[in-house]
Amino acid sequence: MRVAIGDDAVILREGLARLLHEAGFEVVGVAANAEELLALVERSEPDVAIVDIRMPPTHTDEGIRAAKAIHEKRPTTGILVLSQHVHPHYAIELLSIGTDGVGYLLKERVANLNQLSESIRRVGQGDTVLDPAVVSQLVDRRRQADNPLEHLTERELEVLALMAEGRTNKAIAERLFLSEHTIEKHIKNIFNTLRLPHSPDDHRRVLAVVTYLDSP
Amino acid sequence: MRPKLFLLVPAAVAAGAGATWLAAHASAGRPTEPGPYLTAMVGASLIASGLGSWRARPENPLGPAMVLTGFAWFAGLLSEATNAPLYTVGVAVEYAFVAGFVYIVLSFPSGQLRGTLDRVLVVGAVAAALGLQLLAMLFGNGRGLRCGEINGRSACPDILLQVFHDNGLALHLLKFQRALAVGLTLTALCLLALRWLRASRPQRRELTWVLLAGSATLVALAVNVVNDLVGGPLQSTPANVWFLTLALVPIAIVATFVRRRLARGSIAGLVVQLGAHTEPADLQAALSTALGDPSLEVAYWFPAEARYVTGDGRPVAVPGPDSGRRSTLVERDGTPIAMLLHDPALEHNRTLVQSVCAAAGLALDNERLHAELRARLVELTASRARLVEATDAERRRIERDLHDGTQQRLVSIAMSLGLLESKLPPDQEATVPIVHEAQLALALALEELRELTQGIHPTLLVERGLPVALEALCRRAGLPAHLKVDLDNRLSDQVETAAYYFASEALSNAAKHSHGTEVRVDVSCDGRTLTVEVADDGIGGASVGPGSGLRGLADRVEALGGRFTVSSPPGLGTRLQAEIPCA
Repeated sequence: MRVAIGDDAVILREGLARLLHEAGFEVVGVAANAEELLALVERSEPDVAIVDIRMPPTHTDEGIRAAKAIHEKRPTTGILVLSQHVHPHYAIELLSIGTDGVGYLLKERVANLNQLSESIRRVGQGDTVLDPAVVSQLVDRRRQADNPLEHLTERELEVLALMAEGRTNKAIAERLFLSEHTIEKHIKNIFNTLRLPHSPDDHRRVLAVVTYLDSP
Repeated sequence: MRPKLFLLVPAAVAAGAGATWLAAHASAGRPTEPGPYLTAMVGASLIASGLGSWRARPENPLGPAMVLTGFAWFAGLLSEATNAPLYTVGVAVEYAFVAGFVYIVLSFPSGQLRGTLDRVLVVGAVAAALGLQLLAMLFGNGRGLRCGEINGRSACPDILLQVFHDNGLALHLLKFQRALAVGLTLTALCLLALRWLRASRPQRRELTWVLLAGSATLVALAVNVVNDLVGGPLQSTPANVWFLTLALVPIAIVATFVRRRLARGSIAGLVVQLGAHTEPADLQAALSTALGDPSLEVAYWFPAEARYVTGDGRPVAVPGPDSGRRSTLVERDGTPIAMLLHDPALEHNRTLVQSVCAAAGLALDNERLHAELRARLVELTASRARLVEATDAERRRIERDLHDGTQQRLVSIAMSLGLLESKLPPDQEATVPIVHEAQLALALALEELRELTQGIHPTLLVERGLPVALEALCRRAGLPAHLKVDLDNRLSDQVETAAYYFASEALSNAAKHSHGTEVRVDVSCDGRTLTVEVADDGIGGASVGPGSGLRGLADRVEALGGRFTVSSPPGLGTRLQAEIPCA
């Protein structure tokens, strides 16, 4: 399997390259920033691009942006984002790019070569890989809160049920004889009450519906 | 009245009586001369006003100048005398009063001529009124100079100064004198108009009446001279109007001086007002009213900075002589308190300014202390905010160093260990557990480091904003946390950071001390204030004491001008609230 590596720390990208080489991957090249990585991916067409989330110039979320750019240019390339912190928010952002062939791992997982190789292969085959810590954070939350739907008002439940039927805001408004603006307010309350992570509304909408369908 | 001034009164009365008599018995048919009433009125007005001013302001040359002009006016009436020596003197000084008058109007109110043009005008007036007059007297006889062409007979005695006999030249000289007078008069009029237009409000209050009377006199003078030059079609009317306006100038001067004195009556009102004043602007307004200067500004002496600072904290310098502003320093017991910045016009009314300063001394000193306190508070707030900012910057730097350095190295070691593990021959049973042990310890170290850096500086806050960062915070909280965020836009870094740390510290406090079962975090923003509320259902009884974690929270919130409140009744849970201005 062919991989490309993007990380601004020399020690890490070279170390990772050596490690993956030893593990039997073909490392097509390494890049120190998102732009170089993008060029590398276009040039060498690897199966998987491994990218550090925090790179120059802003050292914030370049990895996520690079992932989006790579996905746009070459949708078939798998993307594995490494991050020193695990934030479900970033996982959701990454998943919103597309659920095929993306992965989000804590950086320190590189210590376990077997686990790392396995993750890279799965991403390369088009699977989704999420760090166990992300999953446990989401599961923890489910466990902590009692059934979140109990906190919704009658009206909000009504709106949510109609959302689950796949109706648009406009259709829901017509059905309930309310203004679209009121519906938007209800939906915002639903998102807040269900404590859905802040992300594009489309995504939260799906999650809200999932919560609704999931509840006993 | 001083003895030497008192002595001038009988002299003036005698001169006035003589002149009035001469005016009353003036030869008929000379229409340009003033009658006895105007003679007495103009002279008396000048001398009485002059003596009054002289006495009140011995340092101001205007008083003596007015007195002298009054005597010159009376002396000019000697030209009505039939006695040759008296007549000669009379003709010589006949127009001297005009020169004096020009000086008075131009130098009012200080008695100082302010510009080159002023000086040129006065010198020109003296040259025309005395110089050309005397020069003409060298050539002309009585006939030529005053009486010659009227009714074909001479009613005048000889001029004793006459050396040459050239009446024609004398008449030309006199025509030139009058033309020069018209030119000088018009120039002076323009100058006065310009002066009035450029004057500030307090200056205008001083100048208006005198400039009006003076300008009227100058216009009347010009009309009179022109009338004379073209052969007198207007008969004696312009001359009488001229003399009448002339009498008004000293009266306007005295009226202005009296009004200044009356302004001191406003001090009583000031004292009453000062008793009730509350705001610094009130004190400034009260002083402004008392001094009649709307442009008045008060600056207070800050000894620590050794400079004057206005009530709203703006430092001011003592105005230079060319700045168009003047200053009066207010002192108490030899130490400076304040500086009044005012219009230069008030310089002519030192007594009023001094009285006002004396009356307002205590209030000014009070206000100075208040102003100093306010300035300190502003500085303190700013330095608090700077401290918080510096702390945040330092945290960012440490987090970055840890991330770029230590964390990367540890991860790199972890990779090496992973590689080592994969390279171990299968028969090395003794080595494998050691490698695993090292990997485990390293994983723990990395996890601790991750927690540490996240606590030092929340990167998620910077990257994704307050709601997302709070969500992550609540997810990691020790107690089940319910988050409700009503916030649509990003706020400034400081506000977001303060709100984040507030929530973070409050959550960890709740987890450690509340013994509660859950905690609610509510964040809302009304566009001006960001409100963050963290409430648990625990045992309550929390307080903001020194050394308490809550104290640090309060500091951070208050450094941004915000408010921090704790409500923690025993048994009813703890509610911490931060209100941070975010507009």
